[in-house]
Formats: sequence, C-alpha cells, structure tokens
Amino acid sequence: MDASAPVPIPPARPRRRSFLRIAGVSSAALLSGVGAPGTAEAGYTGERVPGDYPFRLGVASGDPAEDGFVLWTRLAPEPLAADGHGGMPPAPFDVRWEVAEDEGFRRVVRRGSARATPELAHAVHPRVRGLRPGRPYFYRFAAGDHISPAGRVRTTAARGTTPGAFTFATASCQAWYQGWFGAYRHLVADDPEMVFFLGDYIYEYAITADRLWRRGADPGAGHDRETVTLEEYRVRYSLFKSDPDLQAAHAATAFVVTPDDHEVQNNYGADTSRYGTPPEDFALRRAVAYRALYENTPLPEAALPAGGPDARLHRRLTVGDLASFHVLDTRQYRDPGAPGGDILGPDQERWLLDGLRRSGARWNLLAQQVAVMRVGDDRVDQWDGFPAARQRLLDTFADPAVANPVVLTGDTHRAIAGELRADFADPDSPVVGTELVTSSIASDGDGAETDEQAAEWTRHPWVRFYHARRGYTLCRLTPDGLTADYRSVPYVEADAGAPVSTVARFVTEAGRPGPERVG
Amino acid sequence: MAQTVRELRATGRVAAIDLRWERAPWEPPVDHYAVYAARGRAPETEPGALAGKTVYPHFTHGVLGPEAVTWHYRVVTVLASGERGRAAGASATTVASYATGRPLVAVGSFDHKGLEFALAPNGNARYLTAFPAGVDYRDGVSRPETDWPYLHPGPADQWAGRRAHRFTLRFELDAAPVADPGFALWMTDTHATIPGRGVLAVNGRKITTLTFEGGATKGSLEGDATRPNTPLVPSSVELPLPADVFRAGENLLTLEKTEGSWHAYDAIGVFARE
Repeated sequence: MDASAPVPIPPARPRRRSFLRIAGVSSAALLSGVGAPGTAEAGYTGERVPGDYPFRLGVASGDPAEDGFVLWTRLAPEPLAADGHGGMPPAPFDVRWEVAEDEGFRRVVRRGSARATPELAHAVHPRVRGLRPGRPYFYRFAAGDHISPAGRVRTTAARGTTPGAFTFATASCQAWYQGWFGAYRHLVADDPEMVFFLGDYIYEYAITADRLWRRGADPGAGHDRETVTLEEYRVRYSLFKSDPDLQAAHAATAFVVTPDDHEVQNNYGADTSRYGTPPEDFALRRAVAYRALYENTPLPEAALPAGGPDARLHRRLTVGDLASFHVLDTRQYRDPGAPGGDILGPDQERWLLDGLRRSGARWNLLAQQVAVMRVGDDRVDQWDGFPAARQRLLDTFADPAVANPVVLTGDTHRAIAGELRADFADPDSPVVGTELVTSSIASDGDGAETDEQAAEWTRHPWVRFYHARRGYTLCRLTPDGLTADYRSVPYVEADAGAPVSTVARFVTEAGRPGPERVG
Repeated sequence: MAQTVRELRATGRVAAIDLRWERAPWEPPVDHYAVYAARGRAPETEPGALAGKTVYPHFTHGVLGPEAVTWHYRVVTVLASGERGRAAGASATTVASYATGRPLVAVGSFDHKGLEFALAPNGNARYLTAFPAGVDYRDGVSRPETDWPYLHPGPADQWAGRRAHRFTLRFELDAAPVADPGFALWMTDTHATIPGRGVLAVNGRKITTLTFEGGATKGSLEGDATRPNTPLVPSSVELPLPADVFRAGENLLTLEKTEGSWHAYDAIGVFARE
C-alpha cells in the first residue's frame, strides 16, 4: 500500500463548539479519542504537529462489524520518549481519517476527524459506520502535513447471509525482548480477514540483559524496571509496537485484541496480585495498565476505564450467520474463592452461556486466554483452577442448542490441539468441543519441537498435538468445517527471517466436535 | 487541573522513610506520583532529585544506611495528560540501626547488598548440596562467602526440601554484657506473599518469633538493593536482646525459619549499644 497515494486528505477546518452539540458529539467521545464518524469535529489547535513524522507506531483496525470497524493510530514522533507521550506536546491535535474502497483512495466513502489528546497519549479510535458488509476497505490518517501508511480491513458478512468461507488467525504472547516478530510476516502473507490476539501483547517485566534474547536489538535506557506507572506502560507499548512486522500485520488486517495477564502483571486475577500488592493499590496499577492497553490497540471505547479501574473487554463479533466469536476476559472477574472457582464472574458467564445458546450461528468460537482442557491440578492459573466454572461451560457446550463450539486459546507459548470432554473426570465422556491453543509470536525464544512440559500435556488422551516452537494458527471456517493450520517458525531470536511451515493441520467437522489431524 | 498531593506524611524507621498521602480521585486519571528527595533542604522537583515514581499513594525511600539521617521530600501528582500538580512537602529522620553500635558478632555488611554470601546472587538450587545440615557458623573461623548462604529457606521452599531450616551463629564473649545488646537482621528481599516466620533464640532460650515483611520475591535472583531500578524490597528486624541470656565464652544465636518461604540476607549481627 502506498502512503503517498495521489488523493490528499483535505486539511482540517476549525469548527465551533456549537457544531459539536448539534452533531451529538459528547465530551466523553472526544476524551476517548473516538470522535464522530463521518464528521470533522473541533480540536484543531493551529499548533504544528512536531517532529518529522508522527505515525511511527503505525495504524490499525479492530473489531470489524458488518457496517464498519474501529480505526486506530497514535501520534508519536518520538515513540520511546521517557514521559510516555511519544514526543508530543501537551495539546490536542486533529487527526483526520478517510476510508476508501480502493487502495489508491480515489473512491473515499467515509471521512472524518478525531481529536488526539494528551490524556490518551494522542491516540485516536474513530469508529467508522455506514459501510457495506463483507468487503475490503482501505484507510489512512493525516495530521498536519503528514499522511500515515494505509491500512486494509474487511467488514464482516451481514447477518442473514452465510459466507462460503472465512479465514482468520490467532496469535498471542509477543515478548519483544525474547525474539523477533517474523511470524507476522507469514501471517500477513497468509492474508487472514481477521486476527484474534489472545493476550500478552506486552510484558511488564524489567528488560534486563539476561532477558534480552532478541539478537542485535538494543532497547536503550529506561526499560530495566517492571512497568507500574502509566508512562512506563505507555513506553513499553511503544517499544513492542516499534517492531515493523507487528505494524505491518496491523496494517494488513483487523485485530480483535483481548488481554491476558502480562498487560498488567503476571498471573493476576481481578484485584489480586500474586506478588503481594494490596488490592486497593493493585486496582490503581490495573487502571493505568488498561488505559495504556486501550491507547495502543484498536479496542472499542468501552475498553477504556473511566472513573475507576474497570474496563469492558468481553464482547461478541459475528461473521454473518457463519460464526459468532465470543471474546472473553478471563482476568478481570476472577474469584478463586467462589465455590469451585469463578474465572469469568457471574455477569460475563451469564452473558457467555446465554449468548452461546442464542447465537443462531453455525459456529460458536470463544476467543480467550488460558487453556480450558484439563492439564493438571497445579495449573491453577488456567481453567484447571476453576473446575466448577469449566464444568458449567462444558455442560453448555453439550447443550444441543449450542452449535459447534470451538475454543481459541493463547498463554502457553505452545501449539496444542485438544478435545474438550463433557466431563474430564470421566475418560469415556463424549467430546463436546475443540480447543486450539496457539503458540507465541516470540515469548520463550526459539523453543523446540518438544520440551520439558510436553509430558504433562500429552499424557492425556484428549491432547492430540503438542509443539513448542513459535508461530500462529491459521484457520479457515466454512459451514462444513474448521481447518486449523499450525504455522511454525524454527527460530525467532536470531532475526525475523525464519521460514514458516505448517507443522500440523486439524479439521473439526460441523456436527462432530473434536479436532481430527489431517496433515 | 492536577491536584496538590494531600495529607502527605513521612515516617522514619531503620534505613528507610515511608511516605503516605491521600489517593487522588479516579478522574482526571493519574499517571503517577513523582517523589523528589534531598538532604539538608527541600528538593527541587527536577530529574536529579527524583527518588522514584509510583502509581500508589505511598512510597518507601529505602537503602538509606544504618545511621540516622534526615531527608526532605516533595511529591507531585502527574496526570495522564502529563499535567503536573503543585508539590507537597514533608521531612523525616531515619532511626539509627543497632548496627551503628559496637559489634559483638556480625556476618555480612549492613550495606543493602547480599553479594558477599555463599551461593549469591542466584545459586539457591545448590543450597541442599552445600548446606545439607543447615548452617553452623563460627565467628572468626567461618567465612560469609562459603559458610553463610545468601538465602535462608523456609518450609514452603521445595528447592530446600520443604522443611524448617536453622542457622546457628557461634561467637565468643570475654564477658557477659551489662546492658541489653541489640539484634539487627537486614534483608535485601523476602518472598512477596509468604515471607514467613522464624524463631530467634540465644543459648537455647527463645527470644521471640519473628514475622517477616513481604518483599518482591526477587532476592533469590539478585542481591544488590542499591542498584538503580532494583526490584528488591529490603526490610529489617531489630530488637533488644536480654543481657542475661549471654555468657562469657561461647554463645549461640539461632534463627530457625519455621513458616513460609525464604529471606535474603544483607547482614545479621548483635551489637553493644553505645
């Protein structure tokens, strides 16, 4: 895509406040960088955007619907500036955006402006609506005289229609310091219509010399402390997002992002830190961590904490009548003290289980973080630590009203395929679903085909595949089946140039739960 | 507009000063609080005087050494927008450590580092091999770098056999002390969630059960709490010991970790108070 395409974005014009009121643009919308779709709202200050180029963190789209999507960029001429503001001054700036049907931006169909404010580290999240379903669009931003790279995104198929096929990928766990993100190059070449990012977009750990396995990389000073403050989380996102392959992936397709633990702190649950931080303190850390997550990813506005530490991260996306994707948050509402453990919290669990029964889609896919299948009693951070909640989920999967449940999982840094049994305590119980665990993009470095954790997983008859190298999972969904290709790279530490191969292919046939290996 | 920090209080203790203040409202969102420190005068709110940043409404200014020292502070609220509030000020003086007295016995230096000990900074996996029967350290004969490990394990530590571990410190006195001596135990870090408890005894007489403060669970991997951006959370235990438990000749001080996980040594000793 050509960043210097022939049709320039028109300059912003200052608008009066009264226009905002007439246009129904709330102050909350301005403060969250959402702006008003299709309008050019106020916010232009006349101040020149500093630096030689403000789009160094790239562009992104997220949460596509049949009529639109979320767009994202963040003005940051100096992404690693220590104060977390990316080299921007403490003033608002207009960011203009346009969406076109063609790569050359000759057929612009939507155009607007969003205010980039220092409160959100000059990130904007315009929600574009009014588009046609099931077709590709191109988008770009402008700030001052600068034009961003162009991105590509597809609207989803309309409800009431069933597309013949839908291709998506799952990815997770991108510890920048443990490897290059070369896997994303291959993901882009595979051209999925959507990427479900299943957690650990950043890691909070201090980046010290012994942790820096990304050969030839030098993050510079100031990263050798665990992230706790908002400015530290902001800079950490900037560091990770400086990877060109990650930026290219975001520009190539929509990301549906859901966080796991490392966006805040290792293995946290609700307001409980495993490192002894009191809950009233931990809530403050979680609030700034969620804020930085929102600022740096194409999440919908509800994901921005307001007036407290909570963010609405669970949500549902549909692809026509083919698929319903239930995006989960298995961190924020954990309650290990509930009888049998509660990993989703009562409200989200009710939302999920009701949604599964009522979705009306041919396939129901859960995009979530930690392994649902049984692995071991000491795996308390996974669904193993919440057996009652897991059983309620499996009981729902067994309900004939729930069509073709599949769980998409991250977290483990391993590629794993497994059956979900109706009752893991009963080896003869029927298979009620498929679980596809994607490996990491870079976390844990090169890895190996097998490793010391393999036996703990593969001792179970429901585990059908285990592979401990880095990569992602490419899925092709049709009304008849889900084909999952485990895409793997042999190394990530040396450079980003590793080739990719499909190390296993599994098919789950509609009406017949469980993955069958076909390649 | 960023608020001025309210209700700022500073309290000194051994080798550290604790600052606390009132949490700012959720809106406008706070990025962090910046804490500036200086000796002898109020600090400038500039990078050279920055003691640390925190998102919590409290901050411990640590590794201040065994002597009593006075520090002055200014704390500033920094909002998500980058806007900064006006600084609030406070001062406090640390409590002098028993370690400033005349040592009757001491192992290690009270310097916020534990690098002089055996297995330091991260060799705990070799603990059971090197110290299968615990520690029996004889002052003047034994050496910290070979005979006193940097970690004192507890019953929660699988790598140390999941059992209680007793460390014995033997030392000679020409005469029993007349006044109560002071016991000083400084740690570079402790386990965050199960720092545990330990029984302190002198010459077989139990003095007390010590309850350790939670640290950062990082001291098993590194041992210098003075390093900039250190994740370590140092702590200390100091208390007077009854003079009548000591005797002329050989004395035995024992510390047995009876609950929880490890603590990481900075130094341990008994001092005559002067």
